[in-house]
Amino acid sequence: MVQDMRLIELKGVCKSFGDTEVLHDVDLYIRKCEFITLLGPSGCGKTTLLRIIGGFEMPTSGEVLFEGKDMTGIPPHKRRINTVFQKYALFNHLNVYDNIAFGLNLKTPEQLGVKTKAEKKAEIERRVSRMLKLVKMEGYEKRSTNALSGGQQQRIAIARALVNEPEVLLLDEPLGALDLKLRKEMQLELKAMQQQLGITFIYVTHDQEEALTMSDTIAVMNGGRVQQIGDPKRIYDEPKNAFVADFIGESNIIPGEMLEDDLVRFSDTEFQCVDEGFEKNEPVDVVIRPEDIMIVGEDVGMLTGTVQSVVFKGVHYEMIVISGQFKWKVQSTTMQPVGSRVGMTIVPYNIHIMHRTDMPNIPDNIYVPDGESREEA
Amino acid sequence: MKRSWYASPYALWMVLFTVVPLLFVCWYAFTTPSGAFTLDNFSKIAQPMYLLVLWDSLRLALYCTALCLLIGYPTAYFLASRDFSRAQSLVVLIIVPMWMNFLLRTYAMMTLLEDNGVLNTLMRAMGLPGMKMIGTEGAVVLGMVYNYLPFMVLPIYTVLKKMDYSVIEAAQDLGCNPLQVVSRVVLPMSIPGVVSGITMVFMPAVTTFSISRLLSSGMVYLVGDMIEDYFISMNNRNVGSSISLVMLVLIILSIGFLRKVDPDSEGGGLW
Repeated sequence: MVQDMRLIELKGVCKSFGDTEVLHDVDLYIRKCEFITLLGPSGCGKTTLLRIIGGFEMPTSGEVLFEGKDMTGIPPHKRRINTVFQKYALFNHLNVYDNIAFGLNLKTPEQLGVKTKAEKKAEIERRVSRMLKLVKMEGYEKRSTNALSGGQQQRIAIARALVNEPEVLLLDEPLGALDLKLRKEMQLELKAMQQQLGITFIYVTHDQEEALTMSDTIAVMNGGRVQQIGDPKRIYDEPKNAFVADFIGESNIIPGEMLEDDLVRFSDTEFQCVDEGFEKNEPVDVVIRPEDIMIVGEDVGMLTGTVQSVVFKGVHYEMIVISGQFKWKVQSTTMQPVGSRVGMTIVPYNIHIMHRTDMPNIPDNIYVPDGESREEA
Repeated sequence: MKRSWYASPYALWMVLFTVVPLLFVCWYAFTTPSGAFTLDNFSKIAQPMYLLVLWDSLRLALYCTALCLLIGYPTAYFLASRDFSRAQSLVVLIIVPMWMNFLLRTYAMMTLLEDNGVLNTLMRAMGLPGMKMIGTEGAVVLGMVYNYLPFMVLPIYTVLKKMDYSVIEAAQDLGCNPLQVVSRVVLPMSIPGVVSGITMVFMPAVTTFSISRLLSSGMVYLVGDMIEDYFISMNNRNVGSSISLVMLVLIILSIGFLRKVDPDSEGGGLW
């Protein structure tokens, strides 16, 4: 994708509700035909950001550009953007067909590329039936929306938005109310629809797995700021700070210090790593994914520890290993019995070094030897 | 004990005070004072004088319902709007008059509208000519609207308040300007509230009595007054019953009509 195809650009967007600042100086651009996910815990400002793009909220300061033109003050009905709402928001006084046709009925025949009213009616019929096919709801035209299941209602809500052929589709946690299996199906379907139609999707979710599955780009948000933007693999492999590492996937986050380029010290041990450009002896956060720790014999490990607990997770076992003053989360396909002594090794490129951030909730992995850990306290 | 038994006190109540009296009404309507079967009671109602009274009752009830809807819908819409935080206390203000007996409210209205009443005194004090208010049809309609307005506001308010705000945002999102949001989404979605409002105002309004007598000084004579007269002053239960029965059928028919307009409405439930 070309870097310069910026469809939507947010510049220094701030939003406050009363005294509460929800968004703090957000800069973000969204490319054409991109599937971008705003990912973050509840209250991080992701929905507010989406609502600002949709025109339902005005930013307190900053501007929103659409193809380079300011659209900050333009009301929702004049934007070439459509939204799929969290609770579907279907019109229950209309049947399925009229719900989908709602947006098209508001347009003039000319806007639909036809001349007469009769042609408009036929054109609407053609587009609605194409949409019903896309969302796999053919034959439901005359049904009342009240008689549909949650998954079906969501399909209609998606069709109702997409039928207007928007440049951008906004989706506000659209799969939140569906059960796990249906959610997984819909994730793949949504992704397929986006690729088939070539529309920009801006998707809001707090589910990191959903974000990794569907997105071309993920913007991780916390505390009203964008923490990191990048493609899923980059965000997973190279989290920019401890929050991102903790939020995307599971990770061990250990305080350490950078002795020199490519050499870090944590858990009283020196490790080779591949990070450079830190100050000498700078305190850092070290992030290591549970699946990147290899369990080896006690005598050959870089770290040694005692297995505190083992949980079977399907594909792998998840073990908590106490080594020094830390509890390490380790994923392995072979099980080690509780209480056994094990060794652990980590290859240099799996050690991620991050500048220390102010994250009060991170060190839940400190092991207190008298049996009381902070996690259990 | 089966759960349905808990309703037995009410069932007994209903039989004693609804079913049995209704059977009496049917009996009287089809008999002469001596107890012989007859249809004369109904042919009496077909006379122009009676039909005129019936027509007046329907006409005034329609005025009253239309006025209640015109005043009530915007009120309910305003009260239910999201940005209005003092709605609760205003809703209470709308309900408070309903805590008083309607006769008291009507007597209060009388003192306002009388020739030497509060309003006329005020107007004369300001140098304006006094107005004939009491004894006019307008006074009766005013009294009816005053009594029945809360029954229009409350069901509409409830429906509008329950409406999910994201539905309105969805309408904006799909291209509705503010006017179209109201005409294409808010109004159609509030129809159930409007239908129950109309039902709750029109039904009692058609059979209004006393309000008309008190506020028109007897000039406006409605079906309700006529039924009262037949039973009490003229002691003719048979004609009184037949008029009651005709009114009952008319009311049932109009509920049925409203149900046709909106099959999901909360009002009625007979069809």
